[in-house]
Amino acid sequence: MKRKFAAHALGPIALFAVALLVGYARASGPRARFAQAVATLTDAERAALPAAAALTVANATWALGSEEAVRKMLRTELDRLPETDGRARARALIRFGIIDSNPDGQAAVFFQACVADSSLCERAPLIAAAERETHARLVEPGRQLPLYLMAGHP
Amino acid sequence: MTRARSLGLVWPYLLAGALGYLLGSIAVPALAALADGSTSTPLARVGFALRETPSAPSAAWAVLDADLQVARSSLSAPQREVFDLVVAVRGLDNGGSSDWSRAEQVCRALTWPRCDKEALAQLKDLSLP
Repeated sequence: MKRKFAAHALGPIALFAVALLVGYARASGPRARFAQAVATLTDAERAALPAAAALTVANATWALGSEEAVRKMLRTELDRLPETDGRARARALIRFGIIDSNPDGQAAVFFQACVADSSLCERAPLIAAAERETHARLVEPGRQLPLYLMAGHP
Repeated sequence: MTRARSLGLVWPYLLAGALGYLLGSIAVPALAALADGSTSTPLARVGFALRETPSAPSAAWAVLDADLQVARSSLSAPQREVFDLVVAVRGLDNGGSSDWSRAEQVCRALTWPRCDKEALAQLKDLSLP
């Protein structure tokens, strides 16, 4: 009796297992593409991903946004970015300095950028960083280096 | 062999095949997603799509739609509208193909100085995180 039942059940069980695998492969392959790609990243890369949306918004606003939109975005960025993320904070501060029309204001903001990221305390890397930002901006103001950096101040 | 008898022999196979396929395509991925929740969040998947501009089958993009809604809801105005602009430019809700007319529409609503296609095309690269 047992042997007869096993003989009858073996076929459906094997078919069930095969169908389960086929269904899983068909459904999860394309659907999980992004999840699988995320899983292949290093821990550091994965940790940076949740902030990518905010960073993308900041970059887009810097590229095309009005002066008012940029100022609002930079304030949001400086609120969002932790003090420990010195490079990102310095980048936001450099953007602030570029759109600031007052040389005294520019000097204060660039000093803050130097405090956030000590590699920007030298004039050459500061100018290089500011030039990268002016190239990434497609509208005025902010497409030229600010007076503070052009005029040869320390 | 009568028709009823042959049907009696076939139905366990049909049932096993259908049940296996349904469980494999619905229940197992759902359980796997629950188990994997800590490493692959909606924000992480959107972050990856924003960073990589990946090519993916339509089913993968369809799943990303729900993730985009989660990412969008994490932002406040006007960042949310800027996010919509980036999504349109990068085609993240359109199978990876840019939706220029929608991008221009969102850009104009933001009252930004330039919303022409050339500027929006440049935005595609300049917005990369």
